[in-house]
Amino acid sequence: MTELERAEGRRASGETEPVLSVKELVVKFQLRGRELTALRGLSLDVCRGESLAVVGESGSGKSVLTKTFLGLLDDNGRISSGSILFDGCDLAKLSKERDWVKIRGGRIAMIFQDPMTALNPLRTVGGQIREALLLHGRLSRAEAKQRAIRLLDEVGIPEAARRYGQYPHEFSGGMRQRAVIAIAVACGPEILVCDEPTTALDVTVQAQILTLIRRLQKQYGLTVIFITHDLGVVAEIADRVAVMYAGDIVELGSCEEIFYDPRHPYTWALLSAMPQLSGKGRNLCAIRGTPPDLFYDIRGDAFAPRNPQALAVDFKVRPPYFEVSPTHRARTWLLDPRAPKIEPPEPVQRLREEGIRQLRRVEGKVL
Amino acid sequence: MDRIRYCAGRVLRALVTMAVVLSAVFLLLRLLPVEGYFGSRSDAMSDQVKEQVLRELGLLDPWYVQLKNFWSSLLRGDLGKSVVCRRGVDVVKIIGPKAAVSFRFGLAALLIEKLIGIPAGVLMARHRGQLFDRLGNIFILLVNALPAIVYYLLLQLGGSGLLGIRMLYTKGDIRSCILPVISLSLGGTASTAMWMRRYMADQMNMDYVRLARAKGMTSSQVSFRHVLRNAFVPMAQSLPSSVMFTISGSLYIESLYSIPGMGGLLITAIRRGDNPLVQALVLLYSGMSIAGMLLGDLLMALLDPRIRLNSE
Repeated sequence: MTELERAEGRRASGETEPVLSVKELVVKFQLRGRELTALRGLSLDVCRGESLAVVGESGSGKSVLTKTFLGLLDDNGRISSGSILFDGCDLAKLSKERDWVKIRGGRIAMIFQDPMTALNPLRTVGGQIREALLLHGRLSRAEAKQRAIRLLDEVGIPEAARRYGQYPHEFSGGMRQRAVIAIAVACGPEILVCDEPTTALDVTVQAQILTLIRRLQKQYGLTVIFITHDLGVVAEIADRVAVMYAGDIVELGSCEEIFYDPRHPYTWALLSAMPQLSGKGRNLCAIRGTPPDLFYDIRGDAFAPRNPQALAVDFKVRPPYFEVSPTHRARTWLLDPRAPKIEPPEPVQRLREEGIRQLRRVEGKVL
Repeated sequence: MDRIRYCAGRVLRALVTMAVVLSAVFLLLRLLPVEGYFGSRSDAMSDQVKEQVLRELGLLDPWYVQLKNFWSSLLRGDLGKSVVCRRGVDVVKIIGPKAAVSFRFGLAALLIEKLIGIPAGVLMARHRGQLFDRLGNIFILLVNALPAIVYYLLLQLGGSGLLGIRMLYTKGDIRSCILPVISLSLGGTASTAMWMRRYMADQMNMDYVRLARAKGMTSSQVSFRHVLRNAFVPMAQSLPSSVMFTISGSLYIESLYSIPGMGGLLITAIRRGDNPLVQALVLLYSGMSIAGMLLGDLLMALLDPRIRLNSE
């Protein structure tokens, strides 16, 4: 049984083994003499073989979170408490470069948003892939070159042997992102972190890149963590979704649960803001206000000031996680038995009905 | 293939520029006062004699004829004869040996600048804010803030006093070259270190550095395999001009140490009204500027695969 089949088996049986486990992580930044709390006690388990999407607006701490997995926080940032357990090792405690290089690439690899600038413009694309191969595997230079050409071919670059010797500027944006993905895969990681990998690309290329990432995930048994603020991308690729707001995960669930049965008002607002849902000829929904200033301590639910239906308690006490299902939890007082019943906004209700229809269809087939 | 086409195009352009610039400079120099062609005896000359001299030099011909003659003698390597500084001597023979002396000093200084300045800049960038960076910044600040003549004098007096080196340049005595070369290289070392530090810092903030680190390279691997070469590209462009312009020498240092270089030659020639010598020097410097830029661009094309003549 391959690693992948085992993971599939576990997922089918509802049993999940976390490959990466974040506990009560707090990350602070020093900015102009002041201290900003970018992550406020965030906890998250990433399961082996899954693809997890982390969504949230700019500044919610999505990128900061994944940077802590590779020790790539900017110099003014630090983990002030909490742990990141990975293969028996607490990444939050690593500080020496010597230790981090054993994790980076070879265990956890990362690709970035802008493929136009992610490659060194003065070195050939092939050379940069070969470099990754030589760092992580015992290959001769000639073997590494052959392997790099095979990788270029695998990520869908035609005439790989000729392309090997070309420079990044001779590649289009989509092809560069493919090359960056080839570099990440060349390192032989278990976890692939994709930081908005399609944001800078046009829509047709976006779809191709997503398909490619999914194919490579299957082929290499990768665990994929996807950072994005594009819910369309989430629906396309994710098994599970973590919704982030102001440095914390406010809701976590399977893709279906988040889309068809969201519970947190922020998730409602995010979904309502999708242009696909507002319907033709209607105004687009927007979330009023701005995210809270993370220089200050946040009391209660961070989203309360922007939530028109916020409860009084939302401004006073930070909600705990309430479990909706074994795979679904949300940080909102609305799930407390004492809370008044508040209906989600109309677009979300329509989504829910759509979900129920689909469920019936599936059940109908099964029965 | 693209690169060869780029280089050929660039050379062609430089040749055209050279032809236009040298012609223009030559024609502008026709505006020099004609007294500069008669030498020290101009007072004793009658107008008739003066006209005779000008006619012999071809200066009374129409401008296009003068231009044609200028180019044909230039292509034969003839730039005319000095009339004041060393009367009747070919200006090429005056400039040649002086340029050679300045070139030797300048090249030595340039080597020191780059050999010390570049590694210093790299180290400063890699250890930003730490001790070495701070010391380096103090050095750069001092060299730039103090008038050069102050530390030139300090070096000359201090160096000869403490080390017992002769204060003036003596032909054949290599020790007497030490102080002038150090003085010459100080400013350049500081600016090389400053720019190198800056280019390195710029490159270190690039996305590709982040990707290189994310794939598991140590920061020194990233510095040496990626950042250094990229940071060196903008430095490379000015290198050929720097090498060529070493022959123009330094007015201060050559007079401080009595070095028979090119330092004050142009100024002397202008002050003493030696038109052919002025013309030769001005043409030489314009030509060197163009050639220096050409070589710089060719070097850049060698180092940076993105460079093309037209941004199509």
